[in-house]
Amino acid sequence: MTSRMIVIGAGLSGLMSALALAEAGLRPLLLAKGYGTTYWTGGTIDLLASRRYPNMPLHTALTHLIVAQPEHPYARMELDGIAAAVDRFRTLTKAAGYPYVGGLERNVVLPTALGALRPTALLPATMAAGDVRLGGEILIAGFHELRDFFPPMAAANLQAQHIPARGVYLTLPDGYQRHDYSPRSFALWFEQPNFRQAIGQQLRTLRGTATRIGLPAVLGLRDPLGVVNDLQQISGAQIFEIPTLPPSVPGMRLMNIFHQAITVAGGRIQIGSEVRRGLGAEGVLTHIFSEAAAREQRHHVAACVLATGGIAGGGISTDFRGTVHETALNLPLHAPESRQAWFASRFLHTEGHPIFSAGVPTDDQFRPLDSTGHVVYANVMVAGSALLAGDPVEDRAVSGLALTTGWHVGTLLATSLPAQLAT
Amino acid sequence: MTFIIPSDHIELSLEQSLDHCIKCNICTTACPVSAVTDKFPGPKYVGPQAQRFRRPDQDTPDASVDYCSGCRVCNQVCPTGVHIAELNARARAQIVAQKGLSLRNRLLGHSDWIGRMGASPLAPIANMFLSNGLIRMITEQVIGIARHAPVPAFSRYTFRSWFKHRSAPTAKGTRKVVYFHGCATNYYEPELGRIAVEVLEHNGFEVILAKQGCCGLPLLSNGAFADAQKYHEYNVQQLLPYVKQGIPIVGTSTSCTLTLKEEAPDLLGLHSDEIKLVAENTYDIFEFLRLEHEQGRLDTNFRPVALTLPYHPPCQLRAHRIGRPALDILEMVPGLRLLESTSPCCGIAGTYGVKREKYEIGMAVGAGLFDFVQRSGSDLALCDSETCRWQITHGTGVTSKHPIEILHRAYGLASPSTGG
Repeated sequence: MTSRMIVIGAGLSGLMSALALAEAGLRPLLLAKGYGTTYWTGGTIDLLASRRYPNMPLHTALTHLIVAQPEHPYARMELDGIAAAVDRFRTLTKAAGYPYVGGLERNVVLPTALGALRPTALLPATMAAGDVRLGGEILIAGFHELRDFFPPMAAANLQAQHIPARGVYLTLPDGYQRHDYSPRSFALWFEQPNFRQAIGQQLRTLRGTATRIGLPAVLGLRDPLGVVNDLQQISGAQIFEIPTLPPSVPGMRLMNIFHQAITVAGGRIQIGSEVRRGLGAEGVLTHIFSEAAAREQRHHVAACVLATGGIAGGGISTDFRGTVHETALNLPLHAPESRQAWFASRFLHTEGHPIFSAGVPTDDQFRPLDSTGHVVYANVMVAGSALLAGDPVEDRAVSGLALTTGWHVGTLLATSLPAQLAT
Repeated sequence: MTFIIPSDHIELSLEQSLDHCIKCNICTTACPVSAVTDKFPGPKYVGPQAQRFRRPDQDTPDASVDYCSGCRVCNQVCPTGVHIAELNARARAQIVAQKGLSLRNRLLGHSDWIGRMGASPLAPIANMFLSNGLIRMITEQVIGIARHAPVPAFSRYTFRSWFKHRSAPTAKGTRKVVYFHGCATNYYEPELGRIAVEVLEHNGFEVILAKQGCCGLPLLSNGAFADAQKYHEYNVQQLLPYVKQGIPIVGTSTSCTLTLKEEAPDLLGLHSDEIKLVAENTYDIFEFLRLEHEQGRLDTNFRPVALTLPYHPPCQLRAHRIGRPALDILEMVPGLRLLESTSPCCGIAGTYGVKREKYEIGMAVGAGLFDFVQRSGSDLALCDSETCRWQITHGTGVTSKHPIEILHRAYGLASPSTGG
């Protein structure tokens, strides 16, 4: 218990890194300020859907990017590295009874809660019937009680894009009225057979000519595939989930799956412990300090994965002077020089906002670099949105980068470590 | 360029933390209370959201905040650092300041009064009285303490009396600690205190028994802030001389140590140097032993303890934000395997689950943990908090002990005597 492998951050990248380290027998400690961005995002894995590489298979687009941007994290992992991470993730979720479909072949286009169309590479099987290429009429069904999910609006927007769709509201069965409702309330109810039965019957009545029914992604926490199967049998239509606004039930499922897998493999997850600073000597990180009651908790570091996220996830922050900084270890960043340069002139500018490109520059081992190109800490690797990686928002690659770099860095660290560090 | 730092920036950081709320509702999905009852709308609503409508000169907008159990799970999962539990606790205190404290909550808040009355050679009589169904029914009707709620049995002697009269007093050593036993150890579980003292002495510490009062947490969680402040100030006054000599405060009640470290200073807005010094030098016992181990000073010559036991890290321990120090130490004991519970809370949350209107909620919150303990098949469960141990035993019928008792056993120290 002297020094320890530490992963900072509980988003997809941190979870994948911690899993890799735990499975290598290195008993990592994952520290995080709170639950990560898994709870904020829809649970799909977007590898790449850049407007720079239109109309081509996904692996071809990835290959183009790898050639065009040799310092991009994808280029450093190469296609094989990306595929390895995707494979591990698919095996993990399948073993947990929550399989993902898709891969590097092509993006699947799914309807959003607004009725917009969104491409993604990997999606939970519970969302698979949402693939717009499947054809036929779609029924979008929701609940008045579940806020921010408006079936008529989603259907109207799909119609405007020449996808036949209808939107209907379902009625909460008697006994389920509450003062307030959240996606979790619905997820827990969908685990009850009586609730599923009542909703399935309504869907059957309302289905009409629709062959597919889209519901908010609240179809249970533990066995969503079972819920989908049940609803399909009762309603007579294919069922698919559409991600909601946060909190994301698909994200909660992922967090549960990772928590279980990491702890079973000997890792530890410590939530509520924000890493505030690190201490190093001679190019090696020796200690990190996490926030705790009355005083910081000091951790002795063998090696560390920084997976704290970018501007959106809190790993990169700004202050009122316009300074952009990395929050956990204060690593050097590439970021827009001044506050005036953070944003493009329009909110939905096609070139994206420069501030979202802020990130930690790394070498090909994902180790952080200073402004002169020297490695800051030889035993630190960076994963996920904290990385300098072009503009992942515009590239539609945020979750894909998190997933793949997380796994890659975790395995890289596990194999590159001197043997004496392995406990 | 100079920047003006507000004089009381700690206070500001707490009050203004609500501005960091981005309404993501992660807290709502993690809250164990709102999962089981409609009476509590969730941390986001009663915390950062309702806080905008709370002003010192106005009535509080919503009484549902009283259904917050104070387990602090919301704080831990919040990705933006909002002090939700503190906002809720202060809102409850505002209601109490306006409407007064009920007799029931005053009694529950003063665990020291009750303990002092009950822990005596006459304890068996008091215990018989308190376990009588008719009396419990009357207590529920008249005072509002749930008739089935777990109440501990008084000890026939106090920990302090044992310590003062023990045959083998602690050896004078160069390294000293002050043991903070708390009310539960003193009045209900003096055996735990003996075990803790022996473990500390085994590691070469001279154990000092300083004067101490209730940590004040039961009062804080019942919203009686003014009364709690008196206790905290008394404790700081008693402990400060030791801390100033570099002697740490070590406790076995994880809720007491949390209160000394953070709950009392933060909730009461007390940030003097003296209060900070005591807070910074207070340790939960396994946290302290883990630090000793990091310095290479802990005796790790453990005897095998061939047991597989469920371990519940209580919400008050999680609120320290120090990980799982008991697991870090006990995983070195050969033969011992601890199964960690992932349930956020046992439901008792100090005094919450003994209240008539909240008992069922507490039991529903704890259901997952009870199931976990029972499925383990073990006849012993471990937990660092006394009220949680009582609740676990109440919910499962399984004996619950502080994990320090296992360490005591691993050191091969004497099995529990009858005491007295």
